[in-house]
This record gives sequence, C-alpha cells and structure tokens, in this order.
Amino acid sequence: MSITATEFHLNGSGSVTTEPETVNKIPGNRAVWVGIFAEMTEFALFFLVYFIAKAHYPEQFEQGPLELNTLAGMLNTFALITSSFFVAKALAAIRIDDPEQSIKWLWRAVFCGGIYLVIKVWEYHWNVGQGIETNTNEFYTMYYYMTFNHLLHVGWASGSLLWAIHQLKVGRYTKENHIGFTAIACYWHMVDLAWVIIFPLLYVLR
Amino acid sequence: MKNNLSLNSISALDFSWILLMIITAANALVAETAEPSLAITALICGSIAYKGRRIMDYFMELNHANSTIQFFMRSYFHVFPALIFLTELFAEELAALTTL
Repeated sequence: MSITATEFHLNGSGSVTTEPETVNKIPGNRAVWVGIFAEMTEFALFFLVYFIAKAHYPEQFEQGPLELNTLAGMLNTFALITSSFFVAKALAAIRIDDPEQSIKWLWRAVFCGGIYLVIKVWEYHWNVGQGIETNTNEFYTMYYYMTFNHLLHVGWASGSLLWAIHQLKVGRYTKENHIGFTAIACYWHMVDLAWVIIFPLLYVLR
Repeated sequence: MKNNLSLNSISALDFSWILLMIITAANALVAETAEPSLAITALICGSIAYKGRRIMDYFMELNHANSTIQFFMRSYFHVFPALIFLTELFAEELAALTTL
C-alpha cells in the first residue's frame, strides 16, 4: 500500500479522518513534552548567555564565525534536517501498517545522525589544527559549549531511534499503537529545531 | 477526500525538506559572502523563524496538535529570532545593562 493512498493517522492513537477527536491532542505523550520543554529551556539559557557575551565581546563574535568551518556547519544542518525528514517518513509508514518500511526510514535517520557525529568530531579536530580551542576566546567557549551540548543530544536521541527500531522489529509499535514512536520522533525533531537556531548563531551571524 | 488529505500531507513533507535544504544552503552562502548588516541579520532571523515553523508544522505535525504545545513551540521561534535582532540593534545597551 502506498503512503499516499491511506487515511491519515495522527498522534499514534487514531485517524484524523475517522476519529476527529484525536486532533488537538498532545503528540506522543505528556512525559516527552516535559522533556522537550526542559531541553528547549536549557537551550534558551545558552542563547541568552550568547546574547550577553556577544554584547560584551562584539569583535570576538564578529571575527569568530569567519574562522569556523561553514561547510561542516552546513553539512551538519543538512544531516539533521534530512534525518528529521526520514523520521517523519518512518512515522508515515507505520501509520499505513508498514513496519518494514518504517524501520528502513529509521535506519536512514540513524545514519544521518551518525554522519552528524562524524562531521562534528572531524570539525573539532580541524578547529584544533587552526588553533581554535575551548579557551581561545569567549566566542569559541560559547561555540564549544553549545555545539558539544547539542552533540550529546544527537547522541542519545540516536539511541532512542535505535530503541524505536527494536520496538518496531518486535512488533510493539503498530499501526494502532505507536504513541511511544511518536514521542521519540518529537524529541528528535526538537534536537533538529535547536540546531536551526545554533547554526546561524555560530556560523552565519557576525 | 481521504486520499487528497494524505497526498497533501506527504507532498508538504517532501516539499518542506527541499525548502529547508535550500534555505540552509542560502544561509551558508550568506555566511561566506555577505558583510554583516542589520538587513542581513533580519534576513537570517526571518529564515530561522520560517525553518522552525516549517519543521514544527510538517515534521512534528504540530499544526494539528494541542493548542498549548503549539503556542509555546511557535512562540519560541518568534521570540528568539526577535531577540537575535534586538541584541544586534541594542548591543551597547545590553552590554551596559549586564555589566556588573
């Protein structure tokens, strides 16, 4: 069955077209949204510290992005956006009762998460070669603090995708019940959303 | 009707991915070529807000979801792009305000 030839299920708990009461519900579960808002608050604090540091050290924040590897930042953004797209596809596949396809999409998402981690580690090595270290100046301290924290989030969120693959394989996530899967997908998208702000702050804006 | 709804949803997903990739590449181009200015900052802030909204609506599917979650998530991507712009505009005032 094609993904485009089926009714549209939302939130893992029903179909929009046959159960309109499912619209306006919390995607996934409440617990994951507590986690998502806690993480978003953590990143918000980083951003506020960035704003204050930038106001105090304008020259460092103007020159800093010029020394970073923009290509690495861009490729990492591509990897995260594409992985989010794959996770959304995986969710669409389980809604039409196609766990095999869902697992394939999730492996692709995990692969993109892996690419992100490899690029980021390579970038850190490249930085050190350029003399950019955690204590070089305030901009690079912010850069390392923010990106390493984000890298940790990508790491454990990739672990949650592997967990979703396992659950799909043993048949615990199905067309009728995939709330946990939806929760994991929301968390992954949150990690992507944080990077949507981090990338321009560190690589683009001067 | 049902098929149309699904078709539109999936098409929007694919379209969103392509659009997000293009905006990201454009941002990188700006990083490499453009001189810093308020106009560039405004453009980048706009792109952050738009990318965030696109991911929330079409990847996270918040455009159908609980209104409280929608409100807070969407607000985040209005407030922070605005703060980025305001920080640029009032950098000296912010530095003075936060000097111990």
